[in-house]
Amino acid sequence: MKVESNLNSGRTEPLLRVTGLSQQFVQRRTLSRSKFTVNAFSDVDLALFAGRTLALVGESGAGKSSLARCVALLDQPTAGKIELEGRDLLALGRKALIPIHGQIQMIFQDPTSAMNPSRSAGEIIAEPLVVQGEGTKAQRRERALHLMEQVGLDPRSEGKRPFEFSGGQRQRLAIARGLALGPRVLIFDEVLSNLDALNQSLILRLLADLQRSHSLAYLHVSHDLRLVSEFADDVALMCEGQIVEQQDARKLFESPKHSYTRDLLATVQSVDSILLERSA
Amino acid sequence: MTRYLTRRLAHAALLLLAVSVFSFALLQLAPGDFFAPLKLNPQISARTVEGLRAQYGLDRPWPVRYGHWLRGVFHGDLGPSFAYNSPVAPLLAVRARNTLLLTGTAMLWAWLIAIPLGIVSAVRRGKWSDRAGGVVTSALLTIPDLVLFLAILLLAVRSGWFPTGGMVSTAFGELSGRGRAMDIAYHLFLPALALAIATLPALVRHIRSAMIEVLQAPFIRAARAHGISEYRVLLRYALPVAANPLISLFGFSVATMLSASLLVEVILSWPGIGPLLLEAILAKDVYVVLGTVMLSSVFLVLGNLVADLLLFAVDPRIRMES
Amino acid sequence: MGALVLLAAFQFLILFAGFFAPYGFAAQDREQPFAAPTTVHFWDTQGHFHLRPFIVDSESSEARVYPVRFFVSGTPYKIAGIIPAQVHLFGVEQPGRIFLMGSDAYGRDQFSRFLFGGQSSMLAGLIAALLSVSIGILVGGIAGYYGGWVDELLMRGGELFLALPWLYLLFAVRAALPLHISQWEVFLLLVSVMGLIGWARPARLIRGVVLSAKQRNFVVAARGFGASDAYLLRRHVLPQTYGVLLTQMTLLIPQYVLAEVTLTFLGLGVGEPLPSWGTQLASLQQYYVLSSYWWMFLPALLLIPLFLVFYAAADALQEIHKTVAL
Repeated sequence: MKVESNLNSGRTEPLLRVTGLSQQFVQRRTLSRSKFTVNAFSDVDLALFAGRTLALVGESGAGKSSLARCVALLDQPTAGKIELEGRDLLALGRKALIPIHGQIQMIFQDPTSAMNPSRSAGEIIAEPLVVQGEGTKAQRRERALHLMEQVGLDPRSEGKRPFEFSGGQRQRLAIARGLALGPRVLIFDEVLSNLDALNQSLILRLLADLQRSHSLAYLHVSHDLRLVSEFADDVALMCEGQIVEQQDARKLFESPKHSYTRDLLATVQSVDSILLERSA
Repeated sequence: MTRYLTRRLAHAALLLLAVSVFSFALLQLAPGDFFAPLKLNPQISARTVEGLRAQYGLDRPWPVRYGHWLRGVFHGDLGPSFAYNSPVAPLLAVRARNTLLLTGTAMLWAWLIAIPLGIVSAVRRGKWSDRAGGVVTSALLTIPDLVLFLAILLLAVRSGWFPTGGMVSTAFGELSGRGRAMDIAYHLFLPALALAIATLPALVRHIRSAMIEVLQAPFIRAARAHGISEYRVLLRYALPVAANPLISLFGFSVATMLSASLLVEVILSWPGIGPLLLEAILAKDVYVVLGTVMLSSVFLVLGNLVADLLLFAVDPRIRMES
Repeated sequence: MGALVLLAAFQFLILFAGFFAPYGFAAQDREQPFAAPTTVHFWDTQGHFHLRPFIVDSESSEARVYPVRFFVSGTPYKIAGIIPAQVHLFGVEQPGRIFLMGSDAYGRDQFSRFLFGGQSSMLAGLIAALLSVSIGILVGGIAGYYGGWVDELLMRGGELFLALPWLYLLFAVRAALPLHISQWEVFLLLVSVMGLIGWARPARLIRGVVLSAKQRNFVVAARGFGASDAYLLRRHVLPQTYGVLLTQMTLLIPQYVLAEVTLTFLGLGVGEPLPSWGTQLASLQQYYVLSSYWWMFLPALLLIPLFLVFYAAADALQEIHKTVAL
């Protein structure tokens, strides 16, 4: 059942549009010949706008990460379309996709595993540039140092290894790397889940600043509805592989349409009230 | 069960076929053949040599010869031996029997000693006896097989307690049936012992670790908690479960034992397929080489097949999978 | 770790065999076949202590005393086969002979031959191991990275190689080689053959490492900025295999050294004039040698501590690798 997206009322064209995206896995049951299909997600429509954050919310296993990976062009969906400014990305060949990768970047939940532990911070940030063959060694280093400043890291620590940074700093490192190729779209996969409250708000502030200065479109995957309410412009709610509700954040929190959304909000609110009682 | 069996047999047959093609092709790469040295002899005319070669079909291209040979195999004919001037098959049969006798005995001794040693080490893990045993096995493992066999030969020569070669003594023909058996046993002792010692340490190690792993399982603890005697726990509970890795180990040990047996046979002069292969290589007696390599592959494949079948019979999980 | 130091010391001895050995490996003294090891004396018959050791030649009618000199000039040799030199660590004046490990049927010093033999055998082991490991990286890397039918095919091929008794395979291939070509060619062919046979096990191990490395998030991330397969393999995946490679090498080298020694011992490996431990041990197959000349067994005995050191060094390297890898 497709849900009407209430996002496009009187606004510009979306930067990234996803239509009817589905991903299926075919698996063989162990020790038997019969196969069964698993739907990671089906018939998903999304729209990302420059300068706006779309939060993708749902419980674990709802298919959010799989969807995010497909949008980030890290996995292949089995059906549907992904368009960047009107260009059909899934129809492009490998070579043509290379510059596109630079336009859409994903930041992972666990920064430690997402970075090669034997490389230095400067090398890690500059790696996308190396891969895409941009700039000379000196230019890349310049850019890496510049990016470190932008994300609030001391450029003098460019020679340090990832394990020498704190958790929050590592996430900044990952963000700096994500910015290296000058993307238009950033996709965050549960990047706040591993951080403490202080770091969460710091990172959120950084992301907001970056979004403003670079006019980026964000797809932010999270299971924490409360946190989402603080930063999202638009929210898409996912349940068992399908989008059940998708609209402007304020409208969603004030007047949720789907029963699932209502239930979810109710749980959050009850937790809030318990906490409120406790602290009183 | 039969489906599994047929599948494994087919797999084995394909493997052997691949080995035969591979070996045959490889052997043809060598320049010259058995009769090449004859050409150097001025007393033998080139025509005689050519005639000899034609007689044995050595002048035909190798795929033809391979086909010929393969067809012969199904009739039990493994080609001719140039050096012995007789068919390969009966020659190989005698030697194979001797090798089987040697490896069979050695394998029996090795496993008979390794199993209790491995179990005891596992049970007494960490204690003095286990550690001492560990040191001995490590020491034995470090000694290269070649050195070990030479040392045993030295022992035989210096002490004079054992014969230093051969399978039978010169007086064999005159001995009674029982005397003959004793004679063979007397000659068999040292080579079999050598082979057993060579393969023993690795076996003990593996059995020990397999038993240790099994003994840590919860169901063993439960059995002990029920008051079942340690002896019974070991034999009726632990050992059957350890059988799976042990049977796989058996399959592997066939391979190592075959390789080691070749060396033992040469050094201690036991008339098995090892010395035959060596001679044949040096003389370029191709069909003998081919037959020997194929025979050893057959032993190997059979050994693994037996291991697989045993595994199938013993482990219900494997029965379910197929 | 002590084992590594010892191993390095052994290698040093062998590399500079020319210096440490008093004689060349081919130098014969037909007048002293099967001489027992020379006793080196520090005290003379009158009970005086001499700082400089000496040997006594009791064969000749005069019982001449030869002091052992150090850094003497002797048979010319080449360090690593390239740099010519003439200095030996120790020696005695002619016609005295210092046979630390006795001599063989042709009067050749066993000690010198042991050191020189080490050169051939160890070199063979090293090159063959390198070859096996290189093929292993290639095959294991491709199989692990690309998976699918390529993986199936390559691993089945490896199974075939693992299933055969290696000694027989080695023989069969050796049988294919002409028996009368130059010794250097035999050496190279032997080494290549050994290397070619043994790729299966390293390949399987490397495949495992590559498979798990492929899934690591930083590889996925790199794919995310458009990295090609070649780049990923080169910069992220293969470096993860270095640890495995190192330990495999340390295990394979002694195996291959042993393989070369065994083959040469049986007459199928390198032969004269190249020295090898195999040729030294080959004489032990003769009854009269075993029964009368015990020192001929010494090279075999010396191999035991050598292999012990090898395995201990392999263990040490594994420990180091485990602590270094995060």
